[in-house]
Amino acid sequence: MSETENNLVKVTVDGQAVEVAPGTTIMQACEEAGAEIPRFCYHERLSVAGNCRMCLVEVENAPKPVASCAMPVAPDMVVSTTSETVKTAREGVMEFLLINHPLDCPICDQGGECDLQDQALGFGGDASRFDDNKRAVENKNMGPLVKTIMTRCIHCTRCVRFAQEVAGVPEIGAIGRGEDTEITTYLEASLDSEMSGNVIDLCPVGALTSRPYAFTARPWELRKTETIDVMDALGSNIRVDMRGREAMRIMPRNHDDVNEEWLSDKSRFVWDGLNTQRLDRPFIRQNGKLTPASWDAAFDLVESKLKGKGAATAAIAGDLVCAEGQFALKGLMDALASPHVDCRQDGAKISGPRGNYIFNASIAGIEEADALLLIGSNPRLEAPVLNARIRKRYLMGDFPIVAIGEAVDLTYKAEFIGAGADTLADLLAGKQSFADTLKNAKNPMIIVGQGALTREDGAAVLAAAIELAAKTGASFNMLHTAAARVAGLDLGLVPGEGGHDVAGIQDAAQSGTIENVIFYGADEIAGASLGDAFVVYIGSHGDRGAHRADVILPAAAYTEKQATYVNTEGRAQMTEQAATPPGEAREDWKIFRALSARLDVTLPYDNLAALRAAMYEAVPHLAQLDDVIAADAPVAPPHDGLGAEAFTYAVNDFYFTNPIARASAIMADCAKAKNEPKNRGDSSEGTGTDG
Amino acid sequence: MMRFLKMLFTWWHHQTLSTLLHTRRRGKLMGVDGQGNCYYEDKHGASINGKTRRWVLYNGDIETTRISPEWHGWMHYTVDETPDQAAYVKRDWMKPGQINMTGTKDAHKPAGMADTTGYADGYDAWTPK
Amino acid sequence: MLRDEDRIFKNIYGFEGADIASAKARGDWDGTAELIKKGRDWVIDEVKASGLRGRGGAGFPTGLKWSFMPKENDGRPHYLVVNADESEPGTCKDRDIMRHEPHKLLEGCVLAGFAMGAHACYVYVRGEFIREREALQRAVDEAYEAGLLGKNAAGSGWDYDIYVHHGAGAYICGEETALIESLEGKKGQPRLKPPFPANMGLYGCPTTVNNVESIAVAPTICRRGGSWFAGLGREGNTGTKLFCISGHVNNPCNVEEEMGIPLKELLEKHAGGVRGGWDNLLAVIPGGSSVPLLPKDICDTVLMDFDSLKEVQSGLGTAAVIVMDKSTDIIKAIARISHFYKHESCGQCTPCREGTGWMWRVLERMAAGRAQPKEIDMLLQVTKQIEGHTICALGDAAAWPVQGLIRHFRPVIEERLANGPLQEAAE
Repeated sequence: MSETENNLVKVTVDGQAVEVAPGTTIMQACEEAGAEIPRFCYHERLSVAGNCRMCLVEVENAPKPVASCAMPVAPDMVVSTTSETVKTAREGVMEFLLINHPLDCPICDQGGECDLQDQALGFGGDASRFDDNKRAVENKNMGPLVKTIMTRCIHCTRCVRFAQEVAGVPEIGAIGRGEDTEITTYLEASLDSEMSGNVIDLCPVGALTSRPYAFTARPWELRKTETIDVMDALGSNIRVDMRGREAMRIMPRNHDDVNEEWLSDKSRFVWDGLNTQRLDRPFIRQNGKLTPASWDAAFDLVESKLKGKGAATAAIAGDLVCAEGQFALKGLMDALASPHVDCRQDGAKISGPRGNYIFNASIAGIEEADALLLIGSNPRLEAPVLNARIRKRYLMGDFPIVAIGEAVDLTYKAEFIGAGADTLADLLAGKQSFADTLKNAKNPMIIVGQGALTREDGAAVLAAAIELAAKTGASFNMLHTAAARVAGLDLGLVPGEGGHDVAGIQDAAQSGTIENVIFYGADEIAGASLGDAFVVYIGSHGDRGAHRADVILPAAAYTEKQATYVNTEGRAQMTEQAATPPGEAREDWKIFRALSARLDVTLPYDNLAALRAAMYEAVPHLAQLDDVIAADAPVAPPHDGLGAEAFTYAVNDFYFTNPIARASAIMADCAKAKNEPKNRGDSSEGTGTDG
Repeated sequence: MMRFLKMLFTWWHHQTLSTLLHTRRRGKLMGVDGQGNCYYEDKHGASINGKTRRWVLYNGDIETTRISPEWHGWMHYTVDETPDQAAYVKRDWMKPGQINMTGTKDAHKPAGMADTTGYADGYDAWTPK
Repeated sequence: MLRDEDRIFKNIYGFEGADIASAKARGDWDGTAELIKKGRDWVIDEVKASGLRGRGGAGFPTGLKWSFMPKENDGRPHYLVVNADESEPGTCKDRDIMRHEPHKLLEGCVLAGFAMGAHACYVYVRGEFIREREALQRAVDEAYEAGLLGKNAAGSGWDYDIYVHHGAGAYICGEETALIESLEGKKGQPRLKPPFPANMGLYGCPTTVNNVESIAVAPTICRRGGSWFAGLGREGNTGTKLFCISGHVNNPCNVEEEMGIPLKELLEKHAGGVRGGWDNLLAVIPGGSSVPLLPKDICDTVLMDFDSLKEVQSGLGTAAVIVMDKSTDIIKAIARISHFYKHESCGQCTPCREGTGWMWRVLERMAAGRAQPKEIDMLLQVTKQIEGHTICALGDAAAWPVQGLIRHFRPVIEERLANGPLQEAAE
């Protein structure tokens, strides 16, 4: 039949014949056959080390057991995973791993989710024969996120390979040899990576554990909710572990097309932000001071200000808000006949069809690209996991990367050919040799960052990038920084006929033509820029927006509602509710629904299902969860010509990009560690998280 | 009658009939504690593991934590003096006994233990400056 | 006994000069170009016909190894790497070759490199070998000056460069893939095989790693013919071999002898016999510290070649004969060897990293009598748990001496433990 089928290699595993593609390892073939192979050092997304020796299997006619993770299958190979040789080999290796392992499971945070525990039970012997002293290893300082108890280390080198291969910061390594081998970081400093938390998941034992989570909970006490992250526009799949209504930790889930199984540090460690600075009751400003109030009192005040002033009311949606809430807000504003709506609180000049504002090539598509141009984007800070994907492609080779913007370390080699829009103009005019590279490539990519669009000439940059993409046949990709943005643009939260955009709203508020502003989770706008306008803040955290507000209506955070978010590639995903909103806080859409009733413009839905039905009717592709719907080709928007200024990046303070991150003490620790000199002595007990 | 049947077929409400008979036959009453539990020793010196057999008849539910602290040491062969004997030493660190609260609302809860009642806040509320 | 005219290393004792003039007087670099002009296959066939087996310890047929190199060049350069990281305790043959016969090695490099299509050769010299490296470098400089290396090496039309690389002193870098890693500037840790170096070696290119002695005998084999070499020794164990005799003999020495010479003859003829007479012999480690020792009754008759020693569950290894007379504390001696392997384990894979230390600790206690008799069996099991379960052969090398000890000297251990402090305390 087909050629691939003929090329299959027949392998017998424990008497069961399987056919696998040539080049597969014995381990993969065994898994195909349903045989479980224990392993420590092997990890699907890392290079093969073959050093733990736990995966030994017996191959007929081989003189000794072979490491199944590294050995490719050969035709007609006969593998046994259950023979006596294999059993003793596993028991032997397990015994060796355990002789110098402290066996301090009762005080180890990995307890209950430890590969060593599980495999010792499944494949180990039943007694200890080692009478001598165990080895002890000094703990290493790996910064505020990773707690080290290096005596537990079994030297699988997963963390070393992760740092080298995925994170692109070769700062973890093994020093010493033989028994004295130790895993350590370069100069004992925290990893200079935005993805360092992943080593915690990778570590099969309790050597690298989460410092903020240390000694706070056991895995079996936690309620696990599978949901979606909103710290960046990637929509990483996560699992939130709750105890009661308190978020205890966040872990990545596997999604091959989005985050593989990685997670950025901000997404992983922001959980303490979910438990602090929460808005749990309405507030109203009385005599210049915000005081707690009942929902009724708050609504009364809003009603008195907004009723009949629809056209003088503006709304700005923030970075973390959901599609449902934005749809309800849009509905409310339409009902109030106000065109002054904007979801681009950073002022990005994005306009045009859907193809103009999504990551058209898709995140997984990066791996098929063969040339890349970054325009005003620093993906390392804007979407660390996407950056890892670019690095993955880079490591495959033959991938020229050129960037326009201030030179930064992206963890892979990128040529910075210029800092500003003039370089982009040169590229467009074909004056840069890279234009030809793009043209000659089969799958070239252009990624435009938000930093290039929030400037005066943002529209011109967008137009230039789209024209360049059209000219060179490259895919046009926009990398957003806000999880809410694509949904907002999909739902049309942009100024209507005669409406003001964010800058316009601020000007109009100062001049007094706009009297009321609804901040829906918008926290990146300086309060003073709104003059004397009456500000209603609807959100989950007490941050910049709440401080400026005249009325605060408490809403749910992303873990507290079932809501739709659309990631930068246009993939709609649904979060799950991990907890109820705190105190009197309510889900966002309910607040808008209640508000609309007070303002006599009642929205036409009473429950989430009805809202979704209306939303899907307006924007059908939101209903297609986890699908990337191809958008129409981008169209260059009208503009006033390119400037020449250097691009600045959208994200500078990686750990403080949104109100939840700003509320998080862990993020503050990370920022502190990052800004302080590298070898700053021992901070291991300095974080106050040691219980 | 019910009580008699319970005595025959259950052991957790009261001593079983055979225990009572055995006690009558061989038990030597060594003392009674504040809760009315009676402590016995084998009057013929029959031994278990080389030690004279000792047992208790509870005054009420069969619950080992009801053995009072004074008698606990004697029951477990830590000491041979019963509390009413002169040689018995009452240490100042001995606390009054308390029965096992597991399963009741007074059960011990270590700090940080998950609150299953659902009333805990689990978050810090924002307060305006 | 080997006749003088069949000796390959005529200056192994350094009685004559090591310079190029003296070397040429001994016949080195004689007609190298003609040998090369006979072609690649001819060289390989001669070496195959000679039956030469690798002198680094494993005894893999050298000609066969060379023939594994791709015949067609796929664009990647080929490399010859000479393993001069001679660190096996008891072994000291390569250092004398580098000191006194460096030109034999260099000529061998040219021939071997030509046979495998390599234009570059790296000689990886052990870190502790300072003088040896200087001697070798001197010889390389001389050879370049004489036009024997570089472009059109020795007038053969074949371009050939030799680089002397200095290691940092680690036993594990004598393992071919660890050596390659170290040469690339990485931490010296063995690689997983497959891929084998002949396919993906140094910098991902086809590479052959050979021991110094294997390479140094190649020119003489080509010159005198493979059949001459094959005529020495026994079938499958042909040729001559440098034996390094150390320990309790009257005259410790390096000597070139025919393969298959009886051990007793080797010791009595060349090393002046065992200290205190043959009957004072306790045991012999016949092939460097990594092979199991042989008690006297086996030593009486055993022949010194790969297959004979394998038959008695030992090995020729590097032919480093370590002789121990009856004054030796055999448990302590093996404990010391165990310490060596514990110290030199690279720490990459589990059984070797953890097991070598365990074995050493138990042996140290046994040497002091502080162990339980049941630990003898446990120790044997531990050696079996290491053997064959590691990435490279260091695990095997660490396990074998201990297995040899328990196999042949179990009563000695049992007696020591019975009289040890633990047993006395128990009584």
